[in-house]
Amino acid sequence: MTARAAPAPLPPATTVGLQGWLRQNLFGSWGNSVVTVVVAVVLAWFLVNLGSWVLVEADWTVIISRAPLYIVGLYPYEGYWRLCVCLLLISVLLGMSWRAWPGPARRFAFAFGAVMLFVGVFPHEMAPEHRALLLLNLPFIGLGYVLTPRPAEAHSGRLEAMAGGALPPALERVAIFSTPRRMVIAAFVALVLIMILILGIAGVPGLDPVNPQDLGGLMINLLLAFFGIVCSLPIGIGLALGRRSSLPILKVACVIFIEVIRGVPLITLLFMSRHILPLTFPEELNIDRVYLAGITITIFSSAYMAENVRGGMAAVQTGQTEAAQALGLRGWQTTLLITLPQGLRNIIPAIVGQFISLFKDTSLVYFIGMLDLVEMGRVSVQGNQEFIDNGREVYLFIALVFWVFCFSMSFISRRIEGALGVGRR
Amino acid sequence: MAESNGVQAAVDIPADKAEILARPLEERDDIVVCENVHKWFGDFCAVRDVSMRVKRGEVVVIFGPSGSGKSTFIRMINRLEEHQQGRIVIDGIEMTNDVRNLDAIRREVGMVFQQFNLFPHITVLGNITLAPQRVRHLPRSDAEALAMRLLERVGIPEQAQKYPAELSGGQQQRVAIARALAMQPQIMLFDEPTSALDPEMIKEVLDAMRELAATGMTMLCVTHEMGFAREVADRMAFFDEGALVELGPPDQIFNNPQEDRTKLFLDQIL
Repeated sequence: MTARAAPAPLPPATTVGLQGWLRQNLFGSWGNSVVTVVVAVVLAWFLVNLGSWVLVEADWTVIISRAPLYIVGLYPYEGYWRLCVCLLLISVLLGMSWRAWPGPARRFAFAFGAVMLFVGVFPHEMAPEHRALLLLNLPFIGLGYVLTPRPAEAHSGRLEAMAGGALPPALERVAIFSTPRRMVIAAFVALVLIMILILGIAGVPGLDPVNPQDLGGLMINLLLAFFGIVCSLPIGIGLALGRRSSLPILKVACVIFIEVIRGVPLITLLFMSRHILPLTFPEELNIDRVYLAGITITIFSSAYMAENVRGGMAAVQTGQTEAAQALGLRGWQTTLLITLPQGLRNIIPAIVGQFISLFKDTSLVYFIGMLDLVEMGRVSVQGNQEFIDNGREVYLFIALVFWVFCFSMSFISRRIEGALGVGRR
Repeated sequence: MAESNGVQAAVDIPADKAEILARPLEERDDIVVCENVHKWFGDFCAVRDVSMRVKRGEVVVIFGPSGSGKSTFIRMINRLEEHQQGRIVIDGIEMTNDVRNLDAIRREVGMVFQQFNLFPHITVLGNITLAPQRVRHLPRSDAEALAMRLLERVGIPEQAQKYPAELSGGQQQRVAIARALAMQPQIMLFDEPTSALDPEMIKEVLDAMRELAATGMTMLCVTHEMGFAREVADRMAFFDEGALVELGPPDQIFNNPQEDRTKLFLDQIL
């Protein structure tokens, strides 16, 4: 302890606290004050009108009565329980993330649980078994949490400081997701199970195959965006490495692929995949449009991903490569062990940004006749006399859904950035 | 602080090495041979006609004004820079484009950089064990035991599980020294190892280097630490404008420089 200095003087009251903030940001000068007042009046007028419309005039029956269409499209009712089970698997993964990474993942797990609770108890038409399955998500988040040991045991070093509370020793022993590798395997297994549950397998009772065209609503937006990003990451890494390669043919091929794809709008690619590409297929090969859309979105996304990865790797200091070379690591070892991991860490914000943009872009699949959330909204209004005047409600609802998803993803991304120390070394 | 006295007085020196080190410098073999080495960056001649022989176990301090080619010169010794003319032989291995020769040379030569260049995404322990596991194919447990011995040697075993960014500059540089030593090189290159450090951390790094010199490691150090050079160096090399101007024992360089440029430079910095 050093000797105590005289108490530091306090800042003037007009520069701190609410008063200081108002003075600094809103009423700094005459001009600012006028702008503040005008904007406040306009904003208030807008909010009052919107609020009265939302609460009084709007008729939200269409949303409630058509909710399943918006969320899962034309998915057969008998299969709803399978989707509920998918949610349970996601809950386990969320609980796992919460334990392993308490900072960023906890709020997400909370939010997910809250939504499940809300939908589970909301008074609308819903089968009791589906309600029960939705509510079961809450204990399943806890299950994922319990199955994961404290981060100190799974990782070491900086995550230790963020570790959550301890569990009783008996519970610590059942922690099966005890290494990062096991967590990745668990996530992978869960994803495969989710795909099987959604699409079904022929011949297995209870898991009747679902016509891919019946997939729709928010579910298809999420599925396409998620699998687009997950599949485009390895492809993008491959393309980026190819573009950095010293082999001229490989390099040129990757550059051409990337630049051609990036130079064409997604909607054009979707059109081509639906109407032009099949002309080159043999007659008997009939790929469903859902898969075509998935492949197209993956290809589209991987070209952008490649450029992100390339940028991230280029940002890694040359000293890193030199140190690796000086230690005797070979070129490919240097790339895989040193440059690539650091490059990927650099681009986490960019990957999330790309995911958000891709998620919104998936609404373009209406163009090849798929009923995604937006198209389902349009159909539910225009295809039904009863709701023909409810377009505003439907589109506001859709906008809100997209916003909630995109905002929570960028929120998570910022937290991960902070936890990983992106931007500082 | 417990860390600053981490340099151990007693160090094990293997018997075969001790036998060589017992001989006077003149009777040892040349471990680094450079003959008429040139290097250009575009049209700019960064290193011109440098010839130098370094004995096994010798400590050579290389100094000179900035831009004099001293860093480029030592970076050619493990081929971070390619020499374009002349000949470099490291411990009997000719530096050529042959990948096998290059691999062998890089196993012989360790390097410590001005900016440390630790790998920020892996722990201190991971930084040190990476190359022994991947290049020398040591089992993980052996690599970790080796890493812990080296961390003890540089005085920071308690930092093993931390990430480089959590360490002070002096600690990072000591980890970098341990990382290079983990490959058990015959020669260590130091490229201004203390230039990026705050004054109070310079000593801990120089201490680690002193200790290393005492074990008979062959060292080529680019540094401006003249006190260290006077104390530890067997010979000092003065570079200016890409050329090796003067090469001699510290006594000669400091007290009786043979070249005017050496004298002028020393007058400026001392």
